[in-house]
Amino acid sequence: MSVDIQLAPVIHFEPGKIGDDTTRSGNLAAAALRAGSLIAFVAILLVFSATAPYFLSVGNIGNVLGQSAISGVLAIGLTVVLIAGGSNVVTGGIDLSLAANMGLSAAVYATVAQLGYGDATAVAAALLTGGLVGVVNAFAVVGAGIVPLLATLAVMNIVAGLELVLTQNTVIPASTPLLTALSSSGPLGIPALAYVLLAFTLIAAAIVQYTPTGLRLYAVGEFPDAARAAGLPVRRLLAGAFVASGLCGGFAGILSVSNLSGSTTGSGEMLLPVVVTALLGSVFSRRLVPTIIGTLLSTLFVGFLVNGFQLLNISSVLVSGVQGLLILLVVSATTLLRRQEA
Amino acid sequence: MTLQTSPIEASGLPRAIIGAIVNNALVVALIAVFAVFSFATPTFLTIANLQSILVNNFTLLAIVAIAMTFAVSVGGIDLSVGTAVDFASFAFVSLVLAGQPVAIAALAGLGAGAAVGAFNAILISGIGISPFLGTLGTLFIGRSIQQLLTNGGNPVYLPPSGVPEAFRFLGRGAIAGIPVPLVIAAIIIVAATVILTRARFGRVALAIGIQPSVVRYSGITARAHVAVAFILVGLIAAVAGLILSATVTVYIPSSGNAFLLNAIGATFIGTTLSRLGRPNVAGTVLGVLLLSIVANGLLLTGLNFYWQQVGTGLLIFAVLALSFINRRKATA
Repeated sequence: MSVDIQLAPVIHFEPGKIGDDTTRSGNLAAAALRAGSLIAFVAILLVFSATAPYFLSVGNIGNVLGQSAISGVLAIGLTVVLIAGGSNVVTGGIDLSLAANMGLSAAVYATVAQLGYGDATAVAAALLTGGLVGVVNAFAVVGAGIVPLLATLAVMNIVAGLELVLTQNTVIPASTPLLTALSSSGPLGIPALAYVLLAFTLIAAAIVQYTPTGLRLYAVGEFPDAARAAGLPVRRLLAGAFVASGLCGGFAGILSVSNLSGSTTGSGEMLLPVVVTALLGSVFSRRLVPTIIGTLLSTLFVGFLVNGFQLLNISSVLVSGVQGLLILLVVSATTLLRRQEA
Repeated sequence: MTLQTSPIEASGLPRAIIGAIVNNALVVALIAVFAVFSFATPTFLTIANLQSILVNNFTLLAIVAIAMTFAVSVGGIDLSVGTAVDFASFAFVSLVLAGQPVAIAALAGLGAGAAVGAFNAILISGIGISPFLGTLGTLFIGRSIQQLLTNGGNPVYLPPSGVPEAFRFLGRGAIAGIPVPLVIAAIIIVAATVILTRARFGRVALAIGIQPSVVRYSGITARAHVAVAFILVGLIAAVAGLILSATVTVYIPSSGNAFLLNAIGATFIGTTLSRLGRPNVAGTVLGVLLLSIVANGLLLTGLNFYWQQVGTGLLIFAVLALSFINRRKATA
């Protein structure tokens, strides 16, 4: 048994073996799991819609999308770091500062807006804040060589502290044209945030899944030595991933201000749910690796679960328990399948 | 975890000095922080304050961090240490409230913590889930269970009249002038050191963390050792839960999570800044001391409470950055 700290289940491909039975059964297992998780997803949707007729209505689906926007953007940011950092928690990629980053960016946006500046300035300030946090992470991990877990943990403390300094632990109300637009409903009566999430996912997926840069990120994460030997700028790509994740934190900050009509404290609470969402995401991908679309699916999975519970009047107390069970079920299935194939 | 042998090949005096600093980075950082606060504030270097650091900042975090050290020793991590703290605290307070003898309640508390550890052990050793994900699941499930047990998250108070003497002694008593929690922490530190460095179990555990395959080829049942390690994590964290609830005479759902990130921080600071880059009790304790001294010292500077958190983060960030950069230079 291996006790390596692994974030995501990784299928190992051995170069000489492509096409023979081992790989084929490995693909089968992966396909089974992927299909299994999608079936579970659909099954949950069906169960909820059978018991709560409103569940699968356009309006409700839009609601779920809108409510998942913030955690979705954060989880996608974390996914980029997971891709470029690799699957080992200690030496690999993780960004614990994301939730705190969102809180600080939201506070910066609300403060700048309250000072009377326009939306453009406030948005720029929030994104700049998020990006700067990402730059600090990148410097700590790539420049100083601190393991990501420790580096982003320290940065998380600094950022959370700065948010408290800025807000004095109070709510900073904000209301700007952009916020009004974000919190309104778009076409089909679906919240604007839902469209924001979809558009953001599409752009992120296009960059990560379909450009050479995206492919290089995977190479850096999965096979750093090979990537280095192939002449890829490993350090720059890894640094870029942390900066991208920081920008996602800044963007999520703006969304959270629109959602709550101001910056509020307690953003740190989102950290672990976001980590779970990003990690679960790899189950929804073909090769069981972190992907943007996979992360979106896992965000929606959690979103529909929470929403269904609300519609069925099941106590919200159970939500985190079910989330926990879900992780364990999915990961157990992955592990057992992999063991069978060995 | 990367295993590093001593990174220093001494050649010439400057290199030797850099080497000495790098190899003892944690001690150097601790002395530096200690010196700065001694000069910066008049009250830092007083017996009363140093004792307050040990009792208020050090004890509980040290116990939880040592629990974490066992998880890291076998190459894992335990995100549910706070859950074990909470479960122990809940069982302890509830049973005392129900009129059970303190000893029985304490044993039940330890059992509850160990049960959390056993659940993790089944996930990790039994099913083969990675420790990070397995214990993350435990953390989430534990949160729900606690809310279910407390009608959605209400604290369980012990009325002042209903606090037994033994219960109070555990939290606020003293043996020969030394606070009981500190005595317990000291016992755990010594015991954990002996287990990890002298006992066969500890050596195997560390070997699993460094080279699992070698352990397996040596015919040692790695899975059993990993399972025991995670049960130990739950058990040790439970001790912190007992002391916590005895000190504040209340159980607050999910309050144990407050220790999680600091415990991880202390353990990994101790691991990465120690000479061999391996998890070790002394390193963890020094890491906890560093965090405690910084927290206390910043409090004494009279800095705005919110700036203190920024300061703590900045100081730890600086210590980490300097030591990692130095290490890189020394090995280059």
